[in-house]
Formats: sequence, C-alpha cells, structure tokens
Amino acid sequence: MYPKDIEKFLLQVQKPGRYVGGEVNAVMKDPSKVEVRFAFCFPDVYEIGMSHLGIKILYGAFNQVPYFWCERVFAPWTDMEKQMEEHRIPLYALESGDPVKEFDFIGFTLQYELSYTNVLRMLELSGVPLRAADRPELFNIVVGGGPCACNPEPLADFFDLFFLGDGEEVDMEVMELYRQCKKEGKDKKEFLRLASQIEGVYVPSLYDVEYNPDATIKRYIPQENAPATIKKRVVLDMDSAYYPDSFPVPMIEVVHSRISEEVLRGCIRGCRFCQAGFLYRPFREKNIEVIDAQCRALCASTGYDEISLSSLSTSDYSRLNELIDRLHQWTEKDKVSLSLPSLRVDGFSPELMERINSVRKSGLTFAPEAGSQRMRNVINKNVTEEELLRTVNVAFTEGWTRIKLYFMIGLPTETMEDVLAILELGRKVVDAFYQNKEKPRGKPVEVALSAAAFVPKPFTPFQWFGQDTMETLQKKQRELTGHVRSKRVSVNYHGAKTSFLEAVFARGDRKLCAVLEKAIALGLHFDGWDDCFHFDKWMEAFSACGVDPDFYATRTRGLDEVFPWDHLDYGVTKAFLQAEYERAYQGLTTPNCREKCANCGALCYKGGLCVEKRENVV
Amino acid sequence: MKNVRMWFKKGGAAKYISHLDLTHCMGRALKLSGLPIWYTQGFNPRIYMAYAMPLSLGVSGERECVDIRLTEEDFPLADVAGRVNPRLPDSISVWGVTEPLNKLDAIAFADYELRLEAGDSAGLKSQIEGLFAQGPVIVMKHGKKGDKELDIAPYFSDMALNAGPGYLEAALRLPCSVSGSINPSLLLDALKSCLGLAPYAEIHRKRLLLEDFSEIA
Repeated sequence: MYPKDIEKFLLQVQKPGRYVGGEVNAVMKDPSKVEVRFAFCFPDVYEIGMSHLGIKILYGAFNQVPYFWCERVFAPWTDMEKQMEEHRIPLYALESGDPVKEFDFIGFTLQYELSYTNVLRMLELSGVPLRAADRPELFNIVVGGGPCACNPEPLADFFDLFFLGDGEEVDMEVMELYRQCKKEGKDKKEFLRLASQIEGVYVPSLYDVEYNPDATIKRYIPQENAPATIKKRVVLDMDSAYYPDSFPVPMIEVVHSRISEEVLRGCIRGCRFCQAGFLYRPFREKNIEVIDAQCRALCASTGYDEISLSSLSTSDYSRLNELIDRLHQWTEKDKVSLSLPSLRVDGFSPELMERINSVRKSGLTFAPEAGSQRMRNVINKNVTEEELLRTVNVAFTEGWTRIKLYFMIGLPTETMEDVLAILELGRKVVDAFYQNKEKPRGKPVEVALSAAAFVPKPFTPFQWFGQDTMETLQKKQRELTGHVRSKRVSVNYHGAKTSFLEAVFARGDRKLCAVLEKAIALGLHFDGWDDCFHFDKWMEAFSACGVDPDFYATRTRGLDEVFPWDHLDYGVTKAFLQAEYERAYQGLTTPNCREKCANCGALCYKGGLCVEKRENVV
Repeated sequence: MKNVRMWFKKGGAAKYISHLDLTHCMGRALKLSGLPIWYTQGFNPRIYMAYAMPLSLGVSGERECVDIRLTEEDFPLADVAGRVNPRLPDSISVWGVTEPLNKLDAIAFADYELRLEAGDSAGLKSQIEGLFAQGPVIVMKHGKKGDKELDIAPYFSDMALNAGPGYLEAALRLPCSVSGSINPSLLLDALKSCLGLAPYAEIHRKRLLLEDFSEIA
C-alpha cells in the first residue's frame, strides 16, 4: 500500500495511477516473516517498466522463495519527484509502500545507457548514499543486471555488484549468500568477497584499474582472490528455466498491455551492430509444449487478450507455424490474439500472415537497417532488396498500405551514397505498391523511413569503431531530408546528440562515474525523454570533471587496446569480434548460426544451437 | 441472454485510475471469472459493459454500477460477485448483483460527501456559509467547448456542513446525468478563487439517484 501521505498531492501529478500499486497479482508478504527484501528498481516510468519482460521473470522467481520478498520501484516522473521531495517522502516500493532505504537489496535493471542518471536519482530520492564506499554496512546492497551490465564501468563506483548474463539463477544465489552472511554476522566486505566467487557476479570494488599515459586502460588488477575474468551466467535449458505463471497486471494502460511469452533466447543472425545478438548467445529455443503451457497459465492469471511471442527474432523460431497452429487451438476460442513483435524482412510469409490474422492492418514495420546492399553486407544484415520488395508485396496484397522502415546512419564505411540509398529503397517500395495488381483500392501508400544514428557497443564487431561526429551525422540527416522527392515517402531521424551521449556511456570507463554525479547535481535525468534532455548541461558536466566525451564516442580504438570490459567474459571471443570487424571492412558477410558455425566462442557453454548444430554435423 | 447489474465500490488505489482503465480492469476480471459473459457480436468481439455515470479521477464511489449480459438465462445471480471479486484489484469490489429495474440514462442526480481537511473546521464552515450567503459564486467550468463561467450557488447553497475535529464534511446532492453534471470539485475551485483556500479534500460519491431522488435500482 502506498504511503497515505501522498494522497495530499497525488491528484496534482499526471497519471497518479503510476504511484499507487495495488494491482492484481502483486505479491504481498508479511515483512516480519521474510528474511531478505529486494527492491527491484526500473530506472524509468511505470508504464515502461511494467512492459518489460525481465522484471516479470525475476519478480516471479524471487517471490517463489518464501523468505525473499521482491517489490517493484519505478522512477517517479519529474512532477511527482518534485512533490515527493517537497513533502519529504522518500522513494517507496509499490507493494508495501516501505521506503527503498529499508531494503536489503536495491537492484536496478540496466537496459539503456541514458537511464544511468535515473539510477542515481532513484538512489538519491531513496536517501541512500550514492557511492558504494559510503555504504559500509551489510545492508542496502546495490546490484545491477541487464544488457548494460556488460560494461558497467561508468556505474562501478555506485554499485556493490553486477550480475552478468541470465539472472534467473545467479541473482538468487547472491540473495541466499547474503542471508547466510547475515545469520553468521559477516560484514559487507566478506559478503562481497564471497559473492565474487559466484559465477556471473562482478564486484567492481575488487578490481583496481591502471591507466596508460594516453588515458586508455592498462590493466585490471583483481584483489582478494577475485577472478581475473568474470564469466556471464547462462541458463541453458529454456524448458526447465523459471518462467512466471502470473505477474502484476497494471490498473492503468502501459506501453504493452499484454502477455510476453519468450519463445527463444539469443539470436542466430550475427548482425554486426547488434549488441544483444552477441550478448545472449547461445541461441536457445523453448519447446512448443512448454510455450503452450506457459501461455495458458499467463492467460488464466492475467486476463489479457493478447500474447506477444517475444525474442530478438521470433521468425527464427524453428517451428513457428507449428507453434502458432498449436496456440490457435485455444486462443481463438478464448478470444486471445497473437502478435509477433520482431519480424525479419525474410521471415514474413503469406502462410505466417494467414496465421497472424489479428495483426492490425494499420502499419507494418521492418528494419533493413541500411539502404545499400554494400552497407547491409558490411553490417551483416543478410537481407536483400529483392527480399524486402517481395515482403512488401505480400503486405500490399494482404491489405497493408503503411510501411515503416528502420535504418541506421553513421555505420562504419558509410558514404553519402549509402545514405541516399535509403531514399532510393523507399522509392522502390512505393513503386512496388503501384505495380502490385492486388493492392488495396482507394488507399494511397505511405512509406515512413526512420533513420537512427548508429551507436557502437561493447561486445560487437564495431566496438573499435569511432562513432561519426555529430556534425557528420547531422549532415547525413540533412541530406536525407533534403532529397525526398515523393509525397508518399516521409523521412524522420532522431537524436545525434542523444546517440553521442549513449556512445560515451556504452564504451565508458570509471572516470565517467564523476560525470554522472555531476550530471544529477545539474538536475539531469530522464535523458531518454526529449523534454528532459539538455545537451549543454551534459557538456558542462563533462568539462567540470575534465573528461573529454569524444575520447569515448568518436575515437577509433587500436586493435590492441584494452577495453574497460575486457575482463568480462560473454563467451564470444575478442578474436572472433576482431575477425568480424575485419570482414565488415572487406564487405564480407558471415552466415547465420544455423547455416554454419562461425566459431564465435559461445560453444564454451556447451548448449543451445551450438551443440545441436554440431550433433547434426557429426 | 440476461441483463445483469453489478454494484461495486471503487476506492483506495483504484481512485487514481480513469474510467477507461476501470473498464479494462473490469473486462479482465469478467474474462477470468468463468461466468457465461456475453460478448458484442462485431468483428472484434468485446465484453458488453454499460456503466452508469463515470467517476472523476480521484473520486471514490460506494454504490456504482455496471450492466453486463450473461448468455445463460438461469445463471444464479448470487454466484456472480464471488466469481468476479477474486479477479479484481482489492480496491474495486462487487457487493451486489441484481436484475436492472431502471435504465442507466434515467440517472439524474448523485449524492456526494466531501471531507475537507481543516484545522479550524468551524471557522471554515462559517467562511463557506458566508460565501454562499452573499449571492452568486462564479467559477470557471471546463467543458468540451472550452471554459465558461458558472454560478454554482444554486447547486451548493443548500449543502449540509458538519464540522468535526480537524475536518469539515459537506454533503451534496448534485445533477449527474448524461445531459449534464455538476462536479463536486467545483466547490474546491470556488474556495480557491473566492477565499484563497486550498484544503486537501476527499470526494466520495455515495449513491446515484433518479429524477425523483430515489436510488437507481
């Protein structure tokens, strides 16, 4: 239950339903009967956090254990935050309404670099000291996980430990360890030392960093017997892995008011810009029977009428048509519709469309990512123009008239010609519509081209690449918008400045901790939201700390440079990433994991497609 | 097919969700209840629900109602609440189920209770009485066609005020119908614009009434 005092001002803030909890399936426990309390913090607003799958999985997993109680915390929007500070109400958890500072663990999911200021802001609103060193007790242990934990160095001074890889098992092992340490009267130092021995746990304070005179990393020196490299944790068997049979159902509309069923983890594709594609290897599928049972359970507990079959690339599920047929045996009768959030251009077949009859005809989105074939080869997006045109023709025949295409600009080796090829592709889609004899009558075609600025990320073949400068990106954006010739084509681009900042923190090191502290002192947070993003203040924060952001964003690294994330092991080897980097510059593509193993290193986990594939080879 | 009127209350956390959100919560609960719910027969079948006058955000309600339809003519109404309630958030609960006697659009008035926080509740009481004794009380009413001035004195001057320790209670009967309603929060607007007061207030809708002031059934 929310703190009663907030009622005094709750009607003065937007969407008060964000702050009151009380949802169906929220887990309530008696605080006197639990031993470890975990505040699961999502560093963005309720509607975004409540649409996130990871929090639902871990919330369910933690709360299965009778003596753990996991509660949810979201970032209050600026209006609420102001009211809370004015009325001296510390950040609270939605289930109990208890202040976050009373929790044993304060855990953040790190999904996006531009949410780092919100992480600090949430600690500040909780009244918890930001720096780990200022929290000497075995209490208020600040932990983090999620994709950005693959280079958590910009947050290293604030966190006690990070979880690398799949969290279903390792998180609870650490909670259990904490419980034992409490019982045995051990101190925080001892707890962290023991935690660092658990696979998948990175305790940043146990590593000293040495720098070269040119400010690059010289080496990481482990202390207290901490491992030299920290391996990510992998849950290999998706069928037996924990999956929730219920989750809190928001009373207000959130971004995705539906069930997310994870059908597979990992991706076979190896697109060179895509961090998730490398972080989540190996590729692991769930069985149809397991998916079916999980979907039934979630429908029975939530009352939602839509199931999204989620993954990085759902059309790569090996038996997708069979899966959908199986689900249709009961979903149609139960008035539940299915949706596929991430369709590849080459995964869109008439057979599939017949099965997903519920997809609204309002618009279809595909991501060719680059305009020219040359560029698509560089990024290993193995999709051809012919495939795209075939796909849009299927869509037109099936009655769609609005097509949205996602692209990136600022990719390695990109020329202005490549950028303008985006418009060319848009024009060809329009032409395809007019040449299609079965197109819907009386409706004009609309092609929306969306160009995001490329951000190089750790653990990708482009981790060495210096991002295009903001000037170059803006020039490319101007060229794009300046050359639109058709009324049926629209172009939009977003954020050279936000992409720059994202690039700084994606490949940042510990020197950025001070910048983050300065940034929140300057009032910066919710940087992913246009109305809260203040680039000039960010530059002020960098210069106040004597940090050059270009060093992190636009500098091309030498192949022998030690990265701030080199001591973290995600299975994929640096040698493989380098080979892919070199192939990219030669315009050579690499087959997907199903066609041919590329020896990325993920075989070390001895599971998933890596193993299945080899069995087939033998 | 059988028309059924479910009576429910909405308070606590649910006070802070909109009417549209309420319909979604209720829809999910009905879907999960296992009741023989009737769906609309269109291209996108939906659970049929017809609500009485929506509650404003922040206003709690005690005797709210929604009409649904059951496909089984002889389904025992006594079983309905027990099936729906476990599926609703704690702050919304069905307390009665009847066969509707009046049409929903016959609703004409509603009774409200306002509880204003006031250190000197007797003082606030006389201030409010003084305000309405002097004649017209003009506030801005926000409507679909923009704002317009409204004299609320005719609606509020006969309200019953009861001063308690730390609070002042106001009992109000206001027009509440499809053709037009008077929002009880206009009293708070008047306190602010005319007296410069902004006490914290809880607003509660007690019941929905017909033209003859009898309760809708």
